[in-house]
Amino acid sequence: MLPEDSEWEKVLWRKQEYPDNYIPQRLFLTSLRKNVNFSPYTYWPLVLLSCAITQHLATIFLFLAVFVRLKERLLDARILLYISMAIFLAGYMLWELLDYHYPEHGVSRIGRSKTFKYSLLLFLTLMGLSPVLKTLTAATSSDSIWALSACLFTVNALLADYSSSKPAPSRGRLTSVISMNAAISSSVVLASRLSDDLDVFVLILFSVQLFALFPILRHRLQVTPSILQAVLTFVLSASCIILTAPLSTTATWIYTAALIIVTFLAPGVLVWAQKYKNEIRGPWDVAVPRMS
Amino acid sequence: MVSDFFHPNVGGVENHTYMLSISLIRRGHKVIVITHSHPPDRVGIRWILPSLKIYYIPFPTIASSATLPNYFTFLPYLRTILLREHICLIHAHASLSSLGQEAILHAHLMGVRTVFTDHSLFGFADAASILTNKLVAAALKNVDAVICVSHTGRENTVLRGQLFEKSEYDPSALSVRQNVYVIPNALVADQFKPATEPLPLDTINIVVLSRLAYRKGIDLLVAVAPRICAAFPNVNFIVGGDGPKLIDLLQMRERHLLQDRIELLGPVRHSDVRDVLVRGSIFLNTSLTESFGIAILEAACAGLYVVATRVGGVPEILPEDMISLANPDEDDVFFALTRAIEIVAMGKHSPMEAHERVKNFYNWNDIAERTEKVYESVFATEQIDLWSRMQRTMELGPFAGPIYTIILVVDCLFFVFLEWWLPRDDLDFVMQQWDLSITGVR
Repeated sequence: MLPEDSEWEKVLWRKQEYPDNYIPQRLFLTSLRKNVNFSPYTYWPLVLLSCAITQHLATIFLFLAVFVRLKERLLDARILLYISMAIFLAGYMLWELLDYHYPEHGVSRIGRSKTFKYSLLLFLTLMGLSPVLKTLTAATSSDSIWALSACLFTVNALLADYSSSKPAPSRGRLTSVISMNAAISSSVVLASRLSDDLDVFVLILFSVQLFALFPILRHRLQVTPSILQAVLTFVLSASCIILTAPLSTTATWIYTAALIIVTFLAPGVLVWAQKYKNEIRGPWDVAVPRMS
Repeated sequence: MVSDFFHPNVGGVENHTYMLSISLIRRGHKVIVITHSHPPDRVGIRWILPSLKIYYIPFPTIASSATLPNYFTFLPYLRTILLREHICLIHAHASLSSLGQEAILHAHLMGVRTVFTDHSLFGFADAASILTNKLVAAALKNVDAVICVSHTGRENTVLRGQLFEKSEYDPSALSVRQNVYVIPNALVADQFKPATEPLPLDTINIVVLSRLAYRKGIDLLVAVAPRICAAFPNVNFIVGGDGPKLIDLLQMRERHLLQDRIELLGPVRHSDVRDVLVRGSIFLNTSLTESFGIAILEAACAGLYVVATRVGGVPEILPEDMISLANPDEDDVFFALTRAIEIVAMGKHSPMEAHERVKNFYNWNDIAERTEKVYESVFATEQIDLWSRMQRTMELGPFAGPIYTIILVVDCLFFVFLEWWLPRDDLDFVMQQWDLSITGVR
């Protein structure tokens, strides 16, 4: 007959009157902690956070729609150039407004004159490189270009920085730099399939705005009221769907489905999946040393 | 005994396997060890004193002396060895030992019973742990008994290996299997005798013997040592060991100008551990995770008062009057060391008494006897049939279950092929054993 459970001690040095396989039910796994740092997600805040991903996907779809329109001569390059310049000016004004209303601490400012100088330099560089870029992939088959472009845009979408807090001003995250490079590279190889120098120039200029400048603006916009985020997401999504609809019904449905899934379905799945979260902590975990 | 971790490597598992084998031989059992080879020439059969036969299987290692899990290539070797040597029980050691896990998989084909000893603690969150835990769970689904070296270790292994079954009283509830045992590590107390001459109380040496790595809490040591040196001018540190954190210790010593107060010994051979320990009065262990902590036991046996972090199985191994436990927090470790210094300075700690107590707590004869009882309980139970093994294996999950079940079935087919290819009758059975009277083992 074994002694009372209360007499058993969780020690190894004392010889106890219990067999080695004795398990005291009242003490076993008492130090087990489940989901220690768990804070449950709610649906609408997640939808709002997913807007960043939706916006990014919408910009990719928007770019593809513009590329197809340029290639099929359904869009005049000059019109796109004016639209790009208008978007750039609107974006810059919005940036200045955000700077005024939501000043960022510790971020070094680039003067307006420098901004103008950099913009002009980029504009002229792209204009000068357009003839070179146009013949960049002349020896490559279109199938290879579409495949390469698809891969690069996938990399761009996967590695993009969707976080609501901006990384340290001095250094962007490596993944987001790779992401931007992938998108620009993809734009360059797609632009090289266009027939006119101006088309190439305008498309790459447009891609720089979408994949280099817009993500920076998007980060800044995440401190603004939620309604602005929602409106921007809706405008971008609607734009890409409206531009794609006349070109391909299949693509339109795919885009619509992708945007709806990312914005509304995925957050729902995450909220539902939380009930299966089972993070186990206990004395066996590597302790975190605390320094004074 | 089957494990990837064995002599000539040095470590806790290696020493445990060796000492347990020797103790079982002394109790009249036949014990052999199966491990992997060590380049350039440690391959084949070797004998080590007093009378332990070791099979070094020619498998290359991938990392930390562990072989790559390959499941089937080990079967021809294992089958031949088990049949030749008339082995009736396999005792596998260490979660990260592929040979051990594979031996458990193959053993049932020859009617050989299986016991597994887990020596380590693993988390559940990182990728390495998730993979390792799934491998362990697969191995332990069909093992006859599991031994853990601490109660915390048992809790960890039960969770990792999913060692639950339907409760006898309430079929809807789960209870822990009755084949999970706690048998601690032990030590040869005579190898850790305290210094014959009592140490002077005017100078107190704190000894640290550890691999100088993050998991051993060297960051805490780096933070605490200068504070102790500043607070107690008569206290010095003796640090033995090597590892990536050595540079941090050197920098700390230089920054605080403590070259004359903190002695860094570098790597210390196991045979020299006792000589280093007896130079001090306090042993400091700042590990961030520890299943058992044999180093703590060795220090206590050598007569040192112990200060250790309250992690893993450490709180279980010594009574409260022999150890001061601290949270893995710089201030708490500092206060625990302060208490220890006061205890030692006031002569409240007796090294010889500590040695005698540890000698009584942990000895290999007792551990071997308790392990023997586990073996007996295994032989008293029915062997799990193939169908039950397959059903148990399928419980691993929707992905791992079918994969491991296929491995189990293919293993059986491979065994049938080997029975035809290399019939038992053609094997060269081992008839003679080491003459124990020559080595005076008894």
